[in-house]
Amino acid sequence: MSAALAGHLIFAALLFGGWELAGRLALVDASFLPPLPQVGAILWGFLHHDAFIGDLVLTATEVAVAFLIAAPLAISSGFLLGERLHLAATFNPVVHLVLAVPQSIFLPVFILAFGIGFLEKVLFGITHAYFIILVNSFAAVRSIPPALVAAARVFGATRAQVYTRIYLPAMLPLILTGLRLGMILCIIGVLLAEMYASRRGIGRLIFSWGESYQIPELIAGILLVSILTIAVNEAMRLIELRVGRFYRNAAGN
Amino acid sequence: MPVIEVTGLAKDFRSGRAAVHALRDVTFAVDEGRFVTLVGPSGCGKSTLLAIMAGLIAPTRGEARIEGAPITAPMPAKIGMVFQDPTLLPWKSALANVEFPLALRHVDPATRRKRCMELLDLVGLSEFADHYPHELSGGMRQRVAIARGLAQDPRLILMDEPFAALDEQMRTRMGHDLLDIWEKTGKTIFFITHSLTEAIYLSDTVLVMSARPGRIIATLAIDFPRPRELDIIGSENFGRIRNRIWHLISERGE
Repeated sequence: MSAALAGHLIFAALLFGGWELAGRLALVDASFLPPLPQVGAILWGFLHHDAFIGDLVLTATEVAVAFLIAAPLAISSGFLLGERLHLAATFNPVVHLVLAVPQSIFLPVFILAFGIGFLEKVLFGITHAYFIILVNSFAAVRSIPPALVAAARVFGATRAQVYTRIYLPAMLPLILTGLRLGMILCIIGVLLAEMYASRRGIGRLIFSWGESYQIPELIAGILLVSILTIAVNEAMRLIELRVGRFYRNAAGN
Repeated sequence: MPVIEVTGLAKDFRSGRAAVHALRDVTFAVDEGRFVTLVGPSGCGKSTLLAIMAGLIAPTRGEARIEGAPITAPMPAKIGMVFQDPTLLPWKSALANVEFPLALRHVDPATRRKRCMELLDLVGLSEFADHYPHELSGGMRQRVAIARGLAQDPRLILMDEPFAALDEQMRTRMGHDLLDIWEKTGKTIFFITHSLTEAIYLSDTVLVMSARPGRIIATLAIDFPRPRELDIIGSENFGRIRNRIWHLISERGE
């Protein structure tokens, strides 16, 4: 067992042990911090509850649709700006201004314009993911060493081959980083829209449990969403690391 | 018959409003199987000349011809190149990097694998075929780049200061090994460097280029017998040639 893994296990033991201990020693009011087994039982119950699964699937669908629309759009816009620097001179400052503003403050405008429901939540997810993926895609294009392209051309690469055999693999690590960050922001956008104003979805459920003091349900919901988003993030990071292993020390190459 | 002929070549760049004259009236020819080196101070347009010879950029005036045909675009079947940076693809193994020019032409995998393993063997890296560039030393990467330059069996190899980033000892050894490869393959090599020692040690002919605008100001035949040993570098004759080139460059360069 590696030292890092041991550290992680100790951290988990402290977290859940502290939680259990706080309840048993009555350090925290049990109604605010329900015991772990109770939360676990509720979580287990959720997974066998069709209405809950329906809300979960709806939220996941909204995230997936938003991400699948945002990702290709953002990658191609970033690519275009990276290849056409006069366009970048115009649009990059706009992108960075947009990125600086917390997008949550636009939610009321989205609701006024699109109502509440699937479309509004998906659009809010798209705008969250779009800009960060774009910025990474732009950086990916700019990170391609011109010498690699020149070498490929000397060895007879056609324009199409330069794109498929140099651009694509060279851009991949930064694109993947952008996609992972975009996915996180996309989930934030959709959950935020659900919590602020929505009839269905896991965000709405969690928010309403909080409003009605259903603490065990609230914590179970938070725990489940955390586990799922960590799983998505780690899966994407694993791919990123696999691809990225060729690029260590590549700068000096 | 010369493999490559360069006649009346000039290149002007536009830098803001001003025109920069990088090359002016560059004329020379390289005969088949010769090792010719161009030396000159940094910024004299050496790399510009090489980019024109590789078909990457067009000259303002004059032309470069390979076996009589004007070079207007990269000619991978006739001209191979080794760059100052190894420019290997970091996501491909050493073998796959050597195969890259052949893969671009859709040569079947078995044929190109066999040929490229032979080339890796020639540069002394057959045991490192499966290693990725980041796992190789600077000198090894440049050997892979030399093998890649030979992959398409070109008539001419252009080399743009290929050993400039290496330390002195490695540089000397790479030069020695390059001569060995050259003698085995019989290729025509056009080499660029700012190291006078490297130029004289390697070459049949040294072309001396002036500071910008770059012109050929002298052509020197180097007639140390081959195969050459490293100790000729310390000889009196070697020193005399080096001094002569150094004076040529510094008199014009002030």
